[in-house]
Amino acid sequence: MPQPPEIRASLFVTCIVDQLYPQVGVSAVRVLRRLGVAVDFPADQTCCGQPLYNSGFTRPARQLAERVLHSFADSQYIVVPSGSCAAMLRVFYRDLFAGDPELERPARQLAERVYEFSEFLVKIVGVTDLGAVYPAAATYHSSCHLLRELAVRQEPAQLLEKVAGLGLAPLPQAETCCGFGGTFSVKYPHISEGMLADKIGNIQATGADTLVSCDMSCLMHIGGGLSRQGHPVAVRHIAQVLDGAPEGEAVNG
Amino acid sequence: MATPLPSPLGTPKDEFLAQVRRSLGRPAAAESTEPAEPYYRLTEDAAELERQGAAAQQRREQEQTGLVDRLAETAQLRGWQVFRAPNPEEAIGYVALLATAQGVTQAVRSAQEVFTGLPLDAALENLGIPTITVAQDETHSRAGLREQIIRSGLGLTGADYAVAETGSVVVMPRRGLSRLVSLVPPIHVALVRPQDVVASLDDLFLLRRLEYHRNGGDMGSYLNFITGPSRTADIEQQLVVGVHGPKEVHLILLG
Amino acid sequence: MAEVKTQEFVAASGAAMQNPTLRRALRQVGTGFNGARLEAIDEVGPQLWEEWREEAQRIKRHTIDHLDYYLEMLHDNVTKAGGQVHFARDAAEANGIVAELARTRQVKLATKSKSMVSEELDLNQALEGIGVEVFETDLGEYIIQLAGETPSHLVAPALHKTKEQVAELFNDQLGVPLTDDIEEMARTAREALRQKFLQADLGISGANFLVAETGTLVIITNEGNGRLCTSAPRLHIGITGMEKVIPSVQDLALFLRLLPRSATGQRLTSYVSMVSGPRRSDDEDGPEEFHLVLVDNGRSKLLADPDLRESLYCIRCGACLNICPVYQKIGGHAYGWVYPGPIGAIVSPTLVGLKQAKDLPQASSLCGACREACPVKINIPRMLLHLRHKLAESQDPEEKSTSAMDSLAARGYTWLMNNPSALTALGKLGRAAQQPLAGKGKIEKLPLPLVSQWTKTRDLPLLPQRTFREIWAQELGQAGSSIASPTSRDTESRDAGSGG
Repeated sequence: MPQPPEIRASLFVTCIVDQLYPQVGVSAVRVLRRLGVAVDFPADQTCCGQPLYNSGFTRPARQLAERVLHSFADSQYIVVPSGSCAAMLRVFYRDLFAGDPELERPARQLAERVYEFSEFLVKIVGVTDLGAVYPAAATYHSSCHLLRELAVRQEPAQLLEKVAGLGLAPLPQAETCCGFGGTFSVKYPHISEGMLADKIGNIQATGADTLVSCDMSCLMHIGGGLSRQGHPVAVRHIAQVLDGAPEGEAVNG
Repeated sequence: MATPLPSPLGTPKDEFLAQVRRSLGRPAAAESTEPAEPYYRLTEDAAELERQGAAAQQRREQEQTGLVDRLAETAQLRGWQVFRAPNPEEAIGYVALLATAQGVTQAVRSAQEVFTGLPLDAALENLGIPTITVAQDETHSRAGLREQIIRSGLGLTGADYAVAETGSVVVMPRRGLSRLVSLVPPIHVALVRPQDVVASLDDLFLLRRLEYHRNGGDMGSYLNFITGPSRTADIEQQLVVGVHGPKEVHLILLG
Repeated sequence: MAEVKTQEFVAASGAAMQNPTLRRALRQVGTGFNGARLEAIDEVGPQLWEEWREEAQRIKRHTIDHLDYYLEMLHDNVTKAGGQVHFARDAAEANGIVAELARTRQVKLATKSKSMVSEELDLNQALEGIGVEVFETDLGEYIIQLAGETPSHLVAPALHKTKEQVAELFNDQLGVPLTDDIEEMARTAREALRQKFLQADLGISGANFLVAETGTLVIITNEGNGRLCTSAPRLHIGITGMEKVIPSVQDLALFLRLLPRSATGQRLTSYVSMVSGPRRSDDEDGPEEFHLVLVDNGRSKLLADPDLRESLYCIRCGACLNICPVYQKIGGHAYGWVYPGPIGAIVSPTLVGLKQAKDLPQASSLCGACREACPVKINIPRMLLHLRHKLAESQDPEEKSTSAMDSLAARGYTWLMNNPSALTALGKLGRAAQQPLAGKGKIEKLPLPLVSQWTKTRDLPLLPQRTFREIWAQELGQAGSSIASPTSRDTESRDAGSGG
């Protein structure tokens, strides 16, 4: 039987995973490689530019975006362990370069190859059952960008449902923002905290001991609040759960 | 009648529209020209509109029984108290019973066709409930009739249309159909005949538009959809029935 | 024009967050109207609902792109129906038109049905200034008029008030006994306003839609006050923004399906009233005169900016407010002008001046819930980004308003992210610097600008021993390391995500 062609994925690890949660990137690589995906990591990648773009600084955001266009020009697929950063590459780059005679086309071509991690597993690799084991009572938080910019609604749940030992309680008001919003959380901390308090209340109501998400930025925010308030709820990126990385082995959430 | 203003107030129309055109990136001085890609609804010719109208009318006649059933269902959901009267006697009986039970001392009604041959006034008079037809003539002035409406506990109207989709009664105030009869008294009773019912908002507006073009461009001064009782949710988003309009609305389906 | 307090956003939203009564009043925002909206959409079915939204957006886009043409058509047809159209460039002119009409027609008493545009213009004050008594008749508007306040919601103006507050207000202003029965409060309003309706010389209404083809003003109401205002007085003035026009009377079928469902979850409101001119000579009743005042007041600025133009598609249903997690927290008044919530954060800065209202487009987490809720598919987050872009980088000094600190931070960040080696070096510095903080395995206080705001209520993770790029370079990227395990020095440390 002929072998199916190899799937090649370039990891856009995101600056938050690179700098703060490298273990998430490690888990993502391990999961992909176990599935036979050839993973590479363009070493000159940094930030997608979203913090600048969201603050209105489109000129510098474009500089960083150009860097991404260049670094990933030859990639077959670009896999991003973040719904938010994936949305930047796939959705907002098109706005950023709209009407640009040189870069509009590359931006559109990049957009077609960008996948959020869980979406990539289900849509491109075509798996939902990874044979992972992760004993925990979990609930799942969807990031707003994953949900509304990428319309990735089912894929994370499809993957998590197949994880042995993982209980998955539905999160009340699952589609409401946690209040992170990048600079929003530090420019308007009082509002952000109010939103976070609601989110934490809903997480607690599930009785979960683990909060899973596809975005470390939301998890940094929610986890930071949980930790400050002394709630014993661990936060995990979906890659860590699918990697079956048990609690003791986890690094930085 | 006050004298109309010789010319409008404020910014002259052409100047105002010039600003709009500038904002749209078009030459300010130009005339307002028809859109290059005209809107499909305003481009059909009269024959096409007639054809569509005839189709709607045909639907209306063919599906009448089904439409009446559907109206009864949706109207109830929207807060009408629905009564199906197989014959005029039962309709009159229902109104008489309602008026008595609610302690109505005077009623008003419009002068619509639906009341012709329906001895409703006499029935109510027999119960000691005077029923005034709101229609001006030599002896009934506008102001006098208005006073009668204000004093009445019950207002009766027909329906120019009833919409099965939404459970609405549509009235088009004009001669013989006061705006206030269905609005000011605390109880409104609408009498609907099978031929009044249309399937949908689409059909209703199509028929209205057809009529508008047929009669040389007059919509009539007013058209009202009535869909259940007066209500509000302005305090704590809690629904309360009966504010400025009728708290109680009854829809009698005739025949 | 209504008083502008958008500059006070930070203080006002802070105070709102601390106000327990407001908290209680806002409790239902996410569930009440919004819950009913979702149920109504569910009943329609998501696919059909989406088709409706698409169609509505197409109609609105077409009309707004040819606004001059449709305004002209509207003008001609209102005139043909016996009404008169007046165009107002700004608030002062609009108020002047209404005042002049009131004066020349000896108006002493006016009743008003709900109109956000009249709130924008502060029309009541203008009329009271010439001795006309004005009564708001929508229950919510009546409440806030009695309280001397402004609306906090597009659809439910008194949403910020609890029923206890309303009861006290009625007790205080109208002398009725205290009650906790909302139905009784509605009855009180009915009784208090009934005579006003019948005595009023002038009825003022807004408009939900204006039909160009037939010259018809459409209002969508529930209480019956709109019908009374447009039926009982001898004079009717409709006043509204110029963007409310739609081409054909047949378009109403679609908009009547979308608007009530989006606003309150109703399949249709109790009343839809369509006014085409004054009463005809043999009508039983109705106003002798009908005037339509069409207001620009800054809307042409929204029209002129291709990135903001679609905000004029708004049908003022309030769905974006109800679903907005920020609005749910702070309510409407904190936004500081007539139009609150996500759509207000687009419209207000343009109408009052971006520099006056620079917090509005920024005080959003860009979660996108508003766009998803919008029945005409207005891309609100994209317009918020556009306004942020103007604040940060506009060539126009009237628009640009960014702190030196923010500009510097943006430049520094860009430089850093363009120099991966500098990023690595900075990471090393950070790891050394965090040693004194590392005891608890998390950072509870970091006295850096902005970050200190974060650590007031949230912990931060410590920097890991190695960045991902270092792990990749040292292990993962090596041939044969396909399923590398992290080494012990990466796993030794803290678990920032766990509170236990």
